[in-house]
Amino acid sequence: MSQSSAAATFSFSLQTPSRYGPRIGNILYRRTGPSSEPIQIATPGILTATSRGVVPHLSRDNHRATNAIRWVNVPFETFLEHNPPVPTLQPGLNPLHTFLGFVPGKHILSMSGRDPYDGREMPPNGVQHISVNSLRGVRKLSPSDWRSYVLSCKPDIVFALSDIPFTNPPYSQKRLTKSIDRSATWLSAILRPAEGERPLNVLVHMAGGTSAPARKAFSDSLVEKLYGPEADAVAPLTTLDEAVAGYSFDLVPLRQSLEVSEKRDPRNASPTDLNPVIPTHTEQIIPLVKASLTPLPETKPRLINSTESPHEILHYISSVGIDLFDAHWAQRAADIGVALDFEFPVRSASDERRDIGHNLYDEQFTYDFKPFADAFRGVISEEDSSSVPICHCLACSPFHPPSRIYHGFDTPEHSGTPIRDPESAPHYKPHHTRAYIHHLLHTHEMSAHTFLVMHNLEVLDAFFAGIRSVIAERPEAWTEEVEKFLQKYDGSLKVFEAAKASWKAVELARGKGRLAREKEKQDEATLGTVIETDD
Amino acid sequence: MVSALSRSRVPMQFEVIAKCHTTKARVSRMSLVHGVTMLPTFMPVATQAAIKGLTAQQMEALGVTLILNNTYHLNLRPGLNVLNAAGGAHKFQGWDGNLLTDSGGFQLVSLSKFTTITEEGALFSSPFTGEPTMLTPEESISIQHTIGADIIMQLDDVVSSLTTGSRVEEAMERSVRWLDRCILQHEKSGKKGAQNLFAIVQGGLDPLLRDRCLDAMIERRDGVAGYAIGGLSGGEEKDVFWRIIKQCADKLPEERPRYSMGIGFAEDLLVCVALGVDMADCVFPTRTARFGVALTHNGPINLKLNKHAKDFRTIDENCPCPTCKDRTSRAMLHHIVTHETAAAHAITLHNIVFQAQVMGRAREAIIAGKFPDYLRSFFAQYFGDAGYPEWCINALRSVGVDLLEGKPNAKVILGNGAKWEYATN
Repeated sequence: MSQSSAAATFSFSLQTPSRYGPRIGNILYRRTGPSSEPIQIATPGILTATSRGVVPHLSRDNHRATNAIRWVNVPFETFLEHNPPVPTLQPGLNPLHTFLGFVPGKHILSMSGRDPYDGREMPPNGVQHISVNSLRGVRKLSPSDWRSYVLSCKPDIVFALSDIPFTNPPYSQKRLTKSIDRSATWLSAILRPAEGERPLNVLVHMAGGTSAPARKAFSDSLVEKLYGPEADAVAPLTTLDEAVAGYSFDLVPLRQSLEVSEKRDPRNASPTDLNPVIPTHTEQIIPLVKASLTPLPETKPRLINSTESPHEILHYISSVGIDLFDAHWAQRAADIGVALDFEFPVRSASDERRDIGHNLYDEQFTYDFKPFADAFRGVISEEDSSSVPICHCLACSPFHPPSRIYHGFDTPEHSGTPIRDPESAPHYKPHHTRAYIHHLLHTHEMSAHTFLVMHNLEVLDAFFAGIRSVIAERPEAWTEEVEKFLQKYDGSLKVFEAAKASWKAVELARGKGRLAREKEKQDEATLGTVIETDD
Repeated sequence: MVSALSRSRVPMQFEVIAKCHTTKARVSRMSLVHGVTMLPTFMPVATQAAIKGLTAQQMEALGVTLILNNTYHLNLRPGLNVLNAAGGAHKFQGWDGNLLTDSGGFQLVSLSKFTTITEEGALFSSPFTGEPTMLTPEESISIQHTIGADIIMQLDDVVSSLTTGSRVEEAMERSVRWLDRCILQHEKSGKKGAQNLFAIVQGGLDPLLRDRCLDAMIERRDGVAGYAIGGLSGGEEKDVFWRIIKQCADKLPEERPRYSMGIGFAEDLLVCVALGVDMADCVFPTRTARFGVALTHNGPINLKLNKHAKDFRTIDENCPCPTCKDRTSRAMLHHIVTHETAAAHAITLHNIVFQAQVMGRAREAIIAGKFPDYLRSFFAQYFGDAGYPEWCINALRSVGVDLLEGKPNAKVILGNGAKWEYATN
């Protein structure tokens, strides 16, 4: 489906249509204006998560050097600390891109009200608002404000506000009914075409909680023909679905409800645990997702937020035909010192069961000078392993920058340093090693996470490229390849647990009060020139 | 001019290219095994083998050619066995440029309460086992040989610049004796082809002690490739600080680089350059970045302050750093500062470039014969509103530059100078 030719167009095409099975497709995003090279995202593919509008640990030069970063989702709630939110005041053609430093020619930006990964308990939503988190406390976000923020910020894609309760599951029948009614009303509020404004590319969250009938009812309400005032509100649309660009599913609230129904605490982790592990409930959630999709056309993209592993991703591709997955878990792995190391399809079927990554805190890496992953090599690789694919992240394949800044009387003619031709092919350097990252993690250096995020996103991106190639070239081998993957890689993710424990230990030993200590030093510095060099 | 010595015996090529006609400032070219560094220069500090938050690739793109690692820290982690296995600190951190390591003496004194200095070396309790451990001058040099930096520092007996009495004299004299042991260790190591030993002038704030130390260390010039001025930047009066720097710089041999340790404020850097200093290092620009302070030619900006929340200007319109080049707004930085590591990275990139620009413009001005003008315009812009620090005026007058020339109404700040809001919330 494409929209008015005057605006940027978002289109999705399926090369291998399938209602509930593995499928490959292509998202094409074409901007208007002079630099209108379309952005393409092959599906199944990833979107990158942000925190306060940045890809955690990446400066702008580094996020641009990471080719896996193409679709970036921006939870907007942190900006509600100011009224009006500051990005809405940003001048220019692509205010959100400009404010956050993403490139209109390379990055698709989507905007969601809430961080889909945040399952903390919240005050109830209301008839005219959802409750959102900001550093200055809970804020109310209304559908009309949401619309105005979106119109000001001009993201490429917007998630309609959805009434997902984060109070106390389980939720009653009555609450679910309210939820699907409000969600549909709020969807129509953002779909309503307005004069002089470009139509929006809207993704809708599939409401209905853990009730299959409620989920189906919500989907039915999208495709049913509208009459009366409801139709007038969105004219010339005849159904809501006509203007919907795709469907999204947030797993966190579903998992929490399912935990309660099994008589467990939905938020069992301690409040300081940044990455609470809730059972994935994949087997129970798959029918719920299908219940939502049943009444809907199969031609629109489907997005799932908050999967936790490649295993879970493969399940959703196999059983439901999901097209887009957030990369949050892989980014989070970088936070806790895990370098991902897995491949699809599996090239070498060994008997040895492997973890999907390495906990680089572990002492075994002290002297390990290999690249981060066994499944990939750097461009410059010591052994002759040309059959191993290359990881193009700046940790595995760093290179001398084609140009540098000169500061005064230090150009090659003065220094005598040979000049590099900025047009020539990248002059690659040896990979950064596991031993180096092990050292950086134990010395609490931020650069460790920078390298790991860039690497993990590339590994995840390569995983999806492998998925697409199997679906495209050997669809008959899909089930077998998935099986091989599940056999080879440990799905219990013990490596994450171990890494998290090491991460906490180092935080405790080195991190606790660290900022306060540094601040003390800083304060001293204002009083004179007391600068300790023990950085 | 290249001294006969630097051509024949040490791997360093040090050549003074131009001198300021008024001040003692000079531009030189220092060639080391890992490339050429133009002096005067500021060296960012990568204590634990990383500039906090950045990659070696980014540092290279910023135009930085010389960084500093800390011996004390690298010796603890990752340890010498790892560095040996990695093939040295350059390879370990993926840095192909020049590298300098300190001797570890300063950290022994500043980080450990239990360090006692004996003639043999510094006795301290191991942070791992708590057992008494001895760091001798010979060991410090051999540790630095393993790390493999292009410039290594002698082990010195460091006392706080606020210490007075006989301990200062003792430390100065011991530093000279330890220099002899360091030279001997370095001579017999076979590493002289790749690494350069610098001496560290001590003597506290006492001009007589400094003078004796200078005499003794200059006598040993055949064994050292350069000189550092140590024992300063520890809270002493700035008016005393610059006089010691001047005394040392005036006396140190022309054909050796001069390194002022622990200096990083822009005004300190430019005063030191005017007094004849070639190199300086400090964690200040990178540390202050992590607290949200961006350095600019109009003075530091604290991005944590609410006044930046809706400011869509970048830090400095004319700055070539990646953060400003990309026009990252102060408003965006305000939104993420101290919450996201990416804010620290963005401001660190900027502050490193700011330091490099201050020094680069000094080089250009010296070459063009306009260094006094540069000093006057820099200080006017940097302190114009806040007021000129009196000690800078005094220091620069001593080398023939009057910052207040033609500015009868300029505001002057007595004492140690302007107090920027480096960490105000």
